Amino acid sequence: MAPPFLVARGIRKTYGGVQALKGVSLKLEAGEVHGLVGANGAGKSTLIRILAGLAHADSGDVVVDGSAVAIANPAQATDLGMNFIHQELAFIPGMTVLENIMLGLPKKTRFGMVDWKAIASEVEPVARRVGITAPLNAAVKDLSTAENWLINICRALIRKARLIVMDEPTASLSAVESEKLFKIIEDLRNSGVAILYVSHRLDEILRLCHRVTVFRDGNSVAVIQRQELTRPRLVEAIVGGAVEHPSHDKDYVRKEIVLSVEALSRLPKVRNVSFDLHQGEVLGIGGLVGAGRSELVRLIYGADRPDSGLMVLDGKAFAPKTPAQAVAAGLGLVPEERRADGLLLTKSVAFNLQLSNLMDIVRSPALPLIDYRRREALSEQIVRDLAIKTPSTETPVGLLSGGNQQKVVIGRWLLRAPKILILDEPTRGVDIGARADIHRLIRSLATRGMAVIVVSSEPDELPDLCDRVLVMAEGRIVKELTDMNITRNAIVEASYAFDGTQRSQS
Amino acid sequence: MTHTATSRGLSPRAKFALGAFARYATIIGLLLMILAFSILSPRAFPTLYNFTNVLNQASLAMIISGGLTLAVIVGELDLSIGFAASMHGVLVTGLIVSNQLPIPVAILIVILLGALIGLVNGLIVTKLKVNSVIATLGVGTILTGLSFAYSAGVPITSGVPEAFLQVSLGRWLFGIPNNIIIMAVVLGALWVMVERTALGQEIQAVGGNPSAARLAGINVDRIKILGFVASGMCAALTGILLASRLGSGTTSAADPYLMTAFAAVFLGSATLRDGEFHVFGTFIGALIIAFGFNGLNIFGAPTYSQYIFQGAILIIAVGLSSLGRILSQR
Repeated sequence: MAPPFLVARGIRKTYGGVQALKGVSLKLEAGEVHGLVGANGAGKSTLIRILAGLAHADSGDVVVDGSAVAIANPAQATDLGMNFIHQELAFIPGMTVLENIMLGLPKKTRFGMVDWKAIASEVEPVARRVGITAPLNAAVKDLSTAENWLINICRALIRKARLIVMDEPTASLSAVESEKLFKIIEDLRNSGVAILYVSHRLDEILRLCHRVTVFRDGNSVAVIQRQELTRPRLVEAIVGGAVEHPSHDKDYVRKEIVLSVEALSRLPKVRNVSFDLHQGEVLGIGGLVGAGRSELVRLIYGADRPDSGLMVLDGKAFAPKTPAQAVAAGLGLVPEERRADGLLLTKSVAFNLQLSNLMDIVRSPALPLIDYRRREALSEQIVRDLAIKTPSTETPVGLLSGGNQQKVVIGRWLLRAPKILILDEPTRGVDIGARADIHRLIRSLATRGMAVIVVSSEPDELPDLCDRVLVMAEGRIVKELTDMNITRNAIVEASYAFDGTQRSQS
Repeated sequence: MTHTATSRGLSPRAKFALGAFARYATIIGLLLMILAFSILSPRAFPTLYNFTNVLNQASLAMIISGGLTLAVIVGELDLSIGFAASMHGVLVTGLIVSNQLPIPVAILIVILLGALIGLVNGLIVTKLKVNSVIATLGVGTILTGLSFAYSAGVPITSGVPEAFLQVSLGRWLFGIPNNIIIMAVVLGALWVMVERTALGQEIQAVGGNPSAARLAGINVDRIKILGFVASGMCAALTGILLASRLGSGTTSAADPYLMTAFAAVFLGSATLRDGEFHVFGTFIGALIIAFGFNGLNIFGAPTYSQYIFQGAILIIAVGLSSLGRILSQR
């Protein structure tokens, strides 16, 4: 029998005192779709970085085709036939599809000049095979995320990939696009390419994978074979015990209106949106990626300005020109991209927690010197209350796992106690344990009288969490769901109900 | 081909040691330099007189570098400072000599003008969204032009009152040169502002991640403008002290401070922190440059060697700080 394509054994890695990998193992056969799952901070990304040559293991072996290898840099990983498609796709936006596919590869030349025509004729069939419909000379910046994924896969195939690692491939794809991707994955598998499929979406793992390796706290805790693969088995392995499902008593009675939104528009993403937000309510905003939810939230938060429409906050006209004004008026936002827009990764947990609440930790308003003892005490309390896993409040926040980073962003607003808290994709890329914590937290904030808006692309997330759900499609609110009518199916149905029919008019 | 993964990368302990070395390299370098000069020139170099002299000389560069530190902390570059300082020197002398203004009034006016120039820089960068390199280079060039227009290119030398010279040359407190005291007060105030106040946290946040700072409710534009204003005021102060020291208002006199300030600020970013700008680091950076110049002088090195030294040290500084960053990320 041929040796497996890739074996990683006893890989260890420490980052600044945090043990990210405590000796994990992974075995990949040619032509298999292998799932890699685990909570955030379990070590999946670290292992991938090591395989990709972006980081170096402290100890452990990597064996490819039966012989040990050292992967010192990304070029060596590529030479070994390994290709990586990361969550954040890296392209040069101004260059064409073809130029991006060929980036870093030796190119055919004619009289010393790059012979793009010859290259195009070679790439073309591969591009069509993976489903790229755009012309190869289109600029990458004009294409959708889904097409970017396909370009990446095409790039991998041109490089004679034997393994393609996909990190959360469907995170920003629509259902239809995901479906296409799954077909391509099956096609790749049949041609003998191994796929390492990293995802939090267990449905996809269940559907696609032959075997699944589960990471927990820097260890590989289980390898589950196809025949044993079930959702409960996976969840149990990820969490390390049975999970309690956060269900809240929907005792919410509609209280007074905190925020009224009237015919708010910012074309083309937000069209004529009106709704009321009540005190103590958790209001969900569902819909597909690109439906205009984040854009709506940015208008409310003063990050963008509306073309038309008005808002009333606590009975007074509310037209924030900047987030600073919105915050002063009693709003808070947990942004979608927490690493890019929420945190200063090199700064400490305490620094990040106190960022919106600085006047509360100064000795006096007249002499705004920081009272470090108070800062420490307040931070410690939040870290305890939210069960943020960190060695100390002085640890750089970038060293924490995704779920814990998210808790820091939320914790910042707890200290300030805004009237309205907006959370954009609060549990994206967050593990199941932290997700339950965050949901509990959101409910408890509402119980204490805060009005909460939760934006989520995951239809599963909203039913448990929300008192009311607005579904957006094509920039409009197309459905309002309350109480027992908030179901996954109802949200999905409403999300797609509008799809395509209005696009031609926009 | 049977390496383990370890043989390629460094052990965590080695990385830690290298990272620590990168953080302390500037301070170690400073101490080694002082040691070497002391051994090579035991009579001229390691004296209280010489050290006071070095610090006195360096104070002007330290003040302008301290201001620049604020601008770079908020994520912008201010290339107008050298030109601005030159113009301020001409103007303060002109106000005293030609307009017969009382010295304190003239100084106050010029410092306020420095703040105003900073404000203009800040507004151009934040409101017109002009890249700060271009904006401040443009403003600096305009200021040079204005300064030539004001003085017709002729240095204002005659009629400069002795009292004005004493602003920089005097030793009003305990026999300590005024320059050193003013520098200590300015850098001390800047340090407290950045490291110990609520405003300082906002300044650091804006420099670290403007997007996160904005969404956390911080008025990013205001903080950036503030950085430019601090930079502008410090440039004015350095211009005034230089005019006082030289006893004349000379166009272009303070231009070389631009290079010195950038070298000091970037050396400072490699000091104690991995590529983060901070006021204390800038102080150390300016000290290294000052002692370097002093040593070159004592050994009679030609003037051009100062430029070579300064350019080389800027590159070494940036190299050190990125080395620290690379090691901390691996």
